[in-house]
Amino acid sequence: MKTNSILIGLMALCIFSNALFGATGCTLNDPDRDVLRMFPKSTGYKTDFIRLKEHGGEVTVKEIEEKLKGPVDPTYESIDVPYAYYTILKGKEPIGRIHGLNQKGTFGGMQLIVATDLNGKILHFYYQKISSPAARKFKQKDFTKQFVGLTLEDFYINKLKPGSEKDKIGKITSPTTDHADDFKNTLRGLMKNLIQLDIIHLNRHYDTVYKKLKGE
Amino acid sequence: MKLFIIAFKNLKRKKTRSVLTIGGVAIAVAVLVSLLGFNAGYQIALNNDVDKMGYQVLVTAKGCPYEAATLMLKGGGGLRFMEEEVFDRIVQDERIDKITPQLINTVFDADKDGGGGFTMFMGIEKSYLTLKPWTEFKEGEWFSDENADEVIIGYEAAELEQRRAGDKIFIPGIDKVLTVSGIFERTGTQDDGVIMLPLKTAQRIFDLEKKLTGIGIKLKDMTELPAFEEDLYDEASIQVISMAQVKGTIMNLISTAQILVTSVAFIAIIVAIFGVVNTILMSVFERTQEIGVMKAIGASKLDVFSLIWYETILICGLGGIVGSIIAILAGNSVEFFVKKLLPYAPEGNLVHITSGLLLLSLVGAIVLGLVSGIYPAYRASSMRPIEAIRSGE
Repeated sequence: MKTNSILIGLMALCIFSNALFGATGCTLNDPDRDVLRMFPKSTGYKTDFIRLKEHGGEVTVKEIEEKLKGPVDPTYESIDVPYAYYTILKGKEPIGRIHGLNQKGTFGGMQLIVATDLNGKILHFYYQKISSPAARKFKQKDFTKQFVGLTLEDFYINKLKPGSEKDKIGKITSPTTDHADDFKNTLRGLMKNLIQLDIIHLNRHYDTVYKKLKGE
Repeated sequence: MKLFIIAFKNLKRKKTRSVLTIGGVAIAVAVLVSLLGFNAGYQIALNNDVDKMGYQVLVTAKGCPYEAATLMLKGGGGLRFMEEEVFDRIVQDERIDKITPQLINTVFDADKDGGGGFTMFMGIEKSYLTLKPWTEFKEGEWFSDENADEVIIGYEAAELEQRRAGDKIFIPGIDKVLTVSGIFERTGTQDDGVIMLPLKTAQRIFDLEKKLTGIGIKLKDMTELPAFEEDLYDEASIQVISMAQVKGTIMNLISTAQILVTSVAFIAIIVAIFGVVNTILMSVFERTQEIGVMKAIGASKLDVFSLIWYETILICGLGGIVGSIIAILAGNSVEFFVKKLLPYAPEGNLVHITSGLLLLSLVGAIVLGLVSGIYPAYRASSMRPIEAIRSGE
C-alpha cells in the first residue's frame, strides 16, 4: 500500500513536471561559476533585468532595426523581453559586464553570451545554447575567440563599409559551409547585443562613429 | 456605546503596549488566513491542473517508479514502453468516451543548459486534441499527415527555441531536422514545454516501432471508473493511475507540510491569547484604584466587566483586521515561497483568500477576544470598591 502511494506520488510529480523547459530569458546558467570563469579577479557581481520599454520602447526598437539593417521579431524580441545585465565587481569597482541575448537560429534558439570591458570591448564570447547540426563547430574556441577584442564600431564598419580595410568582421569566416546561415545569425545576435549595451549602459557612445560611417 | 468609547480611550492611554498586543494578534491571524487560503487555493489549482490533463485514467508501462520519476523530473534515460497492442485491446472497451495513445522519448542534447540536458519529445495522435478541446493554435496547424517529419511546439518551448510555423527544428543525438507545423497557445500545463510530433513519426525516428509510453483515457460515466480500473489491473504489463489517486496523493504529500504550518499557526494563536490576557490583566492591576472609584460612584459589576471585555474585543478585532490586511498584502510573497519550497506546485494562484475567509477570521479574532477577556474582566468586576481604592495608598 505504501509502495503504491509512493508510486502514485512520484508519477504525479512526473505527470505534472514542467521542469524540462524554463522560462525564456537570457540569464547565465550558473552565474557564480560563469562570472568567475570570465572574470577571475572579480569579487562579486550585480544583476539587473532591463526591458527595452524602460529605454525608449518602440522608438529604441526602430533605432535598433535601423542600425541592424533588418527587422526585430515582434514576438520574441519585443520591448517586454527582460535582458539580464551582470555588472562585474572587484571590491566596489565595476570591472566589466556580461550580457546574453537569445537569437533565432536556423534550427532553434541560440543563446549568445558576451563579456565586455566597461567600454564595450568583447573580452569573451560563447554560445550558452545552440541547436544546429554544426553546433560543435560553432562552439569551437578557434571560432569564438576571433570575436575577442571587437567592439560595436567593428560591427558598424562591417555593416556600413563591408570589405573595407578596417572591416575585421569581414575577415571572420563561418566555421561551416553547410549551415552558414547560423554564422549570419550569430553576427546579427552579437551586433544586437552590443547595440543594446551601448543604449542601456554606454550612453550611446558608439553613435558618433555610426553617424560618421553613415556620412551624416 | 459609551463604554466602548471609554474602552478605546483606555487602550490609547498605553499606546505601545496596545499596538504590540494588536501586532501579536495580527500576526497570528495573518498566518492562519494565509494557511487557510493556501489550503483552498492549492486544492483549486491542483484540480485545475488535473482537469487540464483531459483524462481521468493514465495507463503506463510497468516499471520502477523511481526510474520513471527520475526520468521525468531530471530528463534521464530508462523509459519503460508498452506494446501498441495494449492500446488496441483497451480501445475496444465500450465504457471509454475518449482515448489517446502517447509515446514520450527524451534526447540528450550536449549543448543544453551548459553541461548538457535532456529534451522531451511526445508522439501524439489527433485524438489528443479531443481530450483537450481547449487547446488552440497560436499559429500554424495540425501535422500534414500521420507520418510527417513535423512537430507542433508548446508555447514556452517555442519561445525558448524562437520558432514559428514553417521553421526547422533540430533533434540532436539522432541528427534529425523536422519542420514546425504549428505552435500551441499557452495552456498553463506541461504541454507548454513539450515538442510534439506525429505518433508514427516518433516511433519511426526514435526506433520504437509499435511502442507506447502512456494511454490517456476519459470514460463516458465516471461512476464506472473503479470497475474499469479493476479490469485494467488484469493486464500484466501495465500500471493504471487514476487522476483521483494522483490528486489524493499530492494532497497527502502536501498535508505533512500543512500539519506543520497549522501547528505553528495554533502556537501563534495560543501565544496571542496569553499576550492579550497578560496585557489586559496588567491594565486591570494598574487601574485597580480607578476601577474602585468607578464602582464607588455607581458603576455596576456588569459595567466594569463589559468595559474590560470591550477592551479585549477591540484589541482582537483590530488585530484581526490588521492580520487580514497583512495576509492579503503578503499573499504574493507567500505564494512565491511556497512555490520555491514545494516539490510540486500547480499553476495559478496557490493562496486563495476569499471574503468569506476574511469574515471568518475576523469573527474568530473577536471570539478570541471574548474568550481571553473573561478572566481579566471577572477579576476587575469582582474587586471591592473600598479595598481597590485603598490598594494604592
